[in-house]
Amino acid sequence: MADWHEIVRQHLSGLALEPQDRREVIEELSAHLEETFEQLRREGRTENESVQFTLAQVDDWRVLRRRIQTARAKECIMSNRVTQFWIPSIATFVFSESLLALSQKFGPKPTIFAFSGNPSVLVFYIPWLLALPFIGAMGAYLANRAGGSPRAVFCAVLFPALAILGVFLSILPVALIVDRHVDHNIIAAGFLVALLGWVFLPATALLAGGLPAYLFLSRRLTSGRVASQ
Amino acid sequence: MIGSGIKRGTAELAVLSVLQDGPLHGYELARRIEQQTDGALRFTLAALYPMLYRMEQQRWIRGSWETSASGRRRRCYRLTPAGKKKLSPLRREWAELFRALHRLTKVAHG
Repeated sequence: MADWHEIVRQHLSGLALEPQDRREVIEELSAHLEETFEQLRREGRTENESVQFTLAQVDDWRVLRRRIQTARAKECIMSNRVTQFWIPSIATFVFSESLLALSQKFGPKPTIFAFSGNPSVLVFYIPWLLALPFIGAMGAYLANRAGGSPRAVFCAVLFPALAILGVFLSILPVALIVDRHVDHNIIAAGFLVALLGWVFLPATALLAGGLPAYLFLSRRLTSGRVASQ
Repeated sequence: MIGSGIKRGTAELAVLSVLQDGPLHGYELARRIEQQTDGALRFTLAALYPMLYRMEQQRWIRGSWETSASGRRRRCYRLTPAGKKKLSPLRREWAELFRALHRLTKVAHG
């Protein structure tokens, strides 16, 4: 017979609650699974079928872990948000900006790409762009480890690009209002070029590391689940 | 599609209504709801416990460990006075909603 306590314990090992609270949750949930299994056996199902039906009570243990964590630790909602979103996001942002500053100061000259008929230029800091996939992967790892939802993981991965997008979006209306003498077409074109160079390209580079890392970590968790079953 | 707010509301009403008859542990609570609704409402473990814990935080229900005659330890949930107070307006709201929907569907088909 399946060891329900052990199955639940393994899946909820990362539950960020007080040890006593965690033990109680594990005991309660394993008792529920055990009773579900016993009821299915009484109804005449085979042991294998009963195990499969019982395990189908939980589609995604990670989601369950997060929901329990949020529900049990009301006072910890803020700390969940901090560990699942803010710490990974700030870490990716700080690493990304520090590397950009380092590559501007000590790195090779930036690669400049000019568009024909447009005064704006794209400036690439190649070492920085090459480092961004690793920073994205780090963000995905930190958010995933803290039990973050896919949304929290991708926000953490993309946070450096989102922060720059936020700055651009707040600067553009100010620039349009304040500088009446500037040709709006030039500003719009420059804005689009800046968006491409400072938001879309870095976002793509961050995702290039963050997405595989997230998929790998999710698959590892799923494999662990199958193995434990 | 039924929104999460509506789903949560019906689930809370179901739990509070069933617990009004007496304390139950999670598994029995899920079975009772399924039986009393002829299988229309079913709670998996993944849906049930986060909701019970949330309702416990809101102090509508209270859980305590009890040992059965067979020696099995179970966490039994009972309705608190705050839960009882919550139940009547919740019932009224849902009854109004169902009446309104019933009227609406009758008009639509009539």
